[in-house]
Amino acid sequence: MTQHTLALGVEAAAQAAFDAGIKGAFGYPGTPSTEGFEYAEALVKQDAGGGRVAHWAANEKVAYDLALGMSYAGHRSLVTMKHVGLNVAMDAYANSALTGVQGGLVLLVADDPGMHSSQNEQDSRRLAEFAWLPCLEPSTVQEAYDFTWRAFELSEALQVPVMLRLVTRLAHCRAPFQRREVLAPTGVGLTPKARVQDWVLIPSNARRRYVDLLAKQPRLREAAAAMNRIVPGTGRRGVALAGLGRAYFGQLVLEHPELAALPRLEVAAYPVQPELEQAFLGQVDEVLVFEEDYPVLEERLGLRGRARVRGRLDGAVPRTGELSPRILKDALGLATPEGKAAASLELPVRAPRFCEGCGHVDAYEAIQEALRNVGAPEARVFGDIGCYTLAAQEPLAAIHAVVEMGASISMAVGASLAGQTPSVAVIGDSTFAHSGLPALLTAAEAKANVTVVVLDNRVVGMTGQQPSQALDQVERLVLGLGIPEADLQTLTPLPSRHADNVAAMEAALRHAGPSVVVFRRECIQSLRRGVLKEHDREAREHAACSSCTPEVTR
Amino acid sequence: MNGARIHGIVLSGVGGQGVLSMAQIVLEALRRSGFHALQSEIHGMSQRGGSVHAQVCYADQPISSPLIDDGCADLLIALEPLEALRYVPMLRISGHLVVAEDPIADMEGYPPLEDVHAALRAVRGSHLLDTEALARKLAHKQAGGMALLGMASRFLPVAESLWQDVIAQRFAAKGEKVTAKNLEAFEAGRNLIGEGVGA
Repeated sequence: MTQHTLALGVEAAAQAAFDAGIKGAFGYPGTPSTEGFEYAEALVKQDAGGGRVAHWAANEKVAYDLALGMSYAGHRSLVTMKHVGLNVAMDAYANSALTGVQGGLVLLVADDPGMHSSQNEQDSRRLAEFAWLPCLEPSTVQEAYDFTWRAFELSEALQVPVMLRLVTRLAHCRAPFQRREVLAPTGVGLTPKARVQDWVLIPSNARRRYVDLLAKQPRLREAAAAMNRIVPGTGRRGVALAGLGRAYFGQLVLEHPELAALPRLEVAAYPVQPELEQAFLGQVDEVLVFEEDYPVLEERLGLRGRARVRGRLDGAVPRTGELSPRILKDALGLATPEGKAAASLELPVRAPRFCEGCGHVDAYEAIQEALRNVGAPEARVFGDIGCYTLAAQEPLAAIHAVVEMGASISMAVGASLAGQTPSVAVIGDSTFAHSGLPALLTAAEAKANVTVVVLDNRVVGMTGQQPSQALDQVERLVLGLGIPEADLQTLTPLPSRHADNVAAMEAALRHAGPSVVVFRRECIQSLRRGVLKEHDREAREHAACSSCTPEVTR
Repeated sequence: MNGARIHGIVLSGVGGQGVLSMAQIVLEALRRSGFHALQSEIHGMSQRGGSVHAQVCYADQPISSPLIDDGCADLLIALEPLEALRYVPMLRISGHLVVAEDPIADMEGYPPLEDVHAALRAVRGSHLLDTEALARKLAHKQAGGMALLGMASRFLPVAESLWQDVIAQRFAAKGEKVTAKNLEAFEAGRNLIGEGVGA
């Protein structure tokens, strides 16, 4: 069965994982990776009775470990996340290089060069290199599909996890692709007894497994060699292309056929074999490198010292940000067309902002007024990652640090230990579940003088209103982590409740020691779409059922 | 230079206006007309009332670049006038622009509307649509977007019946009435621009 399907690049990868017989897909939402998991989830749902599963996890590390456990049990699994999510999963990812895999395991990671929706533009290829693991880098939607299949085959052949690296422009490029036959999730059987010690990373085993991993490297390079190539040309000036660099250059060749004569090195898989690099550098005196994000290939070629290597490091390509056709044209010295003139009007930026009627705004207004009332209008507030990060902008300017998932609570504790009073953290419910929990445990244990505000809109708002893992459980979690019941309040962020909310927030700020204020009102987008309707109906029925213990809801 | 001609369409507006949905209709119509086509979009923060834009490229042969270079787009479809001005430099000298006159001006520093309209009228190949008036005339609040698409259709190599098929398919789940309303808006827009203008 072959057919044309139209989908985003990140969705094509998910389709391939499904077709390649994954038993499960796991992930944590994060732009531009989110649609990949959601597509897999939809396929699993349609395939009811097919024995497959798809689960969002509390965070990327949990998601990765779920996939690894599924691999151990002998089944193929897909795990999706954005680039900074891989930092969270790095412990699992780097160590799974030593354990190896049983069922094929593919990590779909979506980088965000240009930082369209991220706090940095780190390059996941570096993390694959760091972990001594293979990375495949598609340049088109069809390749996203084909390379995912390849990644599963390689993962099982080499017994290592394989990274599939996408970037925003490919993840969110919609195009048709051709599918292969669907495999059932049959699996390869549980990790055999003889291999159990490989999975027990006590030092004696880990030392052996590290040697094994290094010994696999020539096979990893061989596998990459089948996907990388030199296209010979004329002249001593060439180009080295990876990822979207291949896509942009390929299209420029259509428009400027003379470019086809340039010798080129095309890289689609890592680790790149040194012989290929040497052979290419032997054919050119100068090479322009077009790759998305960090100068990974550029540095490798530059270190060989055989040709003049140009790219991000010498300014031939801008040092930061994503590639574009214009960047390639400029570097190649191609004329750029004259377009229509820009209007002489000044065009103000239309920044994203809170939705009309969003509860976060009401919560922030209460927090700010309470801070003024306790004589701390200039207090520095630690924020976190989500829609509520928008409060860093004017006119609210209500949070003064946003670093990474869960940082708000621990940073507020650190600042309080330095003597900052009041020390306030603002964190969303999903971010709280993601990595706020251990931080709050530490806050309670240290009896730190912090006020932790949980903005509970019941969903992961920013990425498309996926259900939060802490749904209906925030208070129980807070109490379980050691916050006394008297120091926990739940409020409803509505303009009509403003005065009460300010008073309650003030009390929390004046309290010496850790206190938690939960502002709960469902995201108006999810409310409109009815995302939690079914969940709430079930919860009501459950509460009304006399044979069940009633749910604790506050 | 005698290379292939790759065509580009830019769609712009404000989060929530349906830019991405319109881009998908255009992509589907071009694909079904036998072109190789792909579409690029930016999600994320932009969904929260910020600027949104999408691009569609098409050609007779397979293409791979998700991005159109400045000065290379043939057509700009803008659901909001300020968001149109932002992307005018992406148009070729010979390019066309169809744009809604009604602003979403809930922001600081929005220039006087008459200046925005004047700047748009000064762009050669621009076609402004009073979306509000049209919506009133058709008694269909959301008519503007489909009418703009109808205007834009004059500049795209897609048969009228195919547009109707794609639009009908798109709204099928919402029932016959909604589908008919949208087809009506499309026709109204299409009739605003003379036949053969885009040829």
